[in-house]
Amino acid sequence: MASKKEIVKMITPLPLTESQRSLIKTKLNRITDLNHMIFQEEIDPSLVGGIIVICGEIYIDCSLKTQFNKIRESLLREGIV
Amino acid sequence: MISIDRSIIFQIINFFVLVMLLFRFLFKPVIQALDKRSNHIQDEMTKIENAKLEVEQLRKKFEEESKNIHIKYQERLELANQEAVQIKSKIIDEAYQESEKIKQTAEEKARIEIDKLFSELKMDIVDISTGIAEKLLREQIDVSKQDQLIDRLLEEAISRIEIKSDVPYGQ
Repeated sequence: MASKKEIVKMITPLPLTESQRSLIKTKLNRITDLNHMIFQEEIDPSLVGGIIVICGEIYIDCSLKTQFNKIRESLLREGIV
Repeated sequence: MISIDRSIIFQIINFFVLVMLLFRFLFKPVIQALDKRSNHIQDEMTKIENAKLEVEQLRKKFEEESKNIHIKYQERLELANQEAVQIKSKIIDEAYQESEKIKQTAEEKARIEIDKLFSELKMDIVDISTGIAEKLLREQIDVSKQDQLIDRLLEEAISRIEIKSDVPYGQ
């Protein structure tokens, strides 16, 4: 079986710890068949919390910034306020 | 024997001659003049009567025309009143329609302005609320909470991807 490797870009508001990297790798293995992941990390404090993962065509945005934006758009769209 | 004085005869003759002369030169012209005068007066009376009749006819004609003029005046006055009422009604209607139009335009503008202000207010409230929440969360985020967030949010996202693809990789 050929060894597949991919650059995984991770954007977080705080620097990643080793346990976090391990956790992310474990979870990404469930949806990819990559044998080797090259982590590329970027710090963006505006995300507040959470993480953005970009792996090939996969884009996972789990940042609190995006969650806030969604809540904000939902409040304005549905007229809750 | 009756004796007749000749002078009496002459006197009688003279009398008759005088009467004839008087009749011829005095009574006849006087009578003619009186007749003429009488005829003239009669003519004048006739003319006066005719004139009176004419005046009466003119008076009746004038009264008739006056009556007709009065009727026409009343008709025109009534017509003018009706036209005035119609014009008044039209002006009132137009003014009312114009005022309604202005009112509707003002209401529409006010509604748009209120909607705009309300929309801006909603945006401000949402911005302020989310801003406060974001600020509070930003102050509370540490490595431990970041661990929890990554675990929970990433798990949710990956589970969704798994459900969509229905074929888990690496298993």
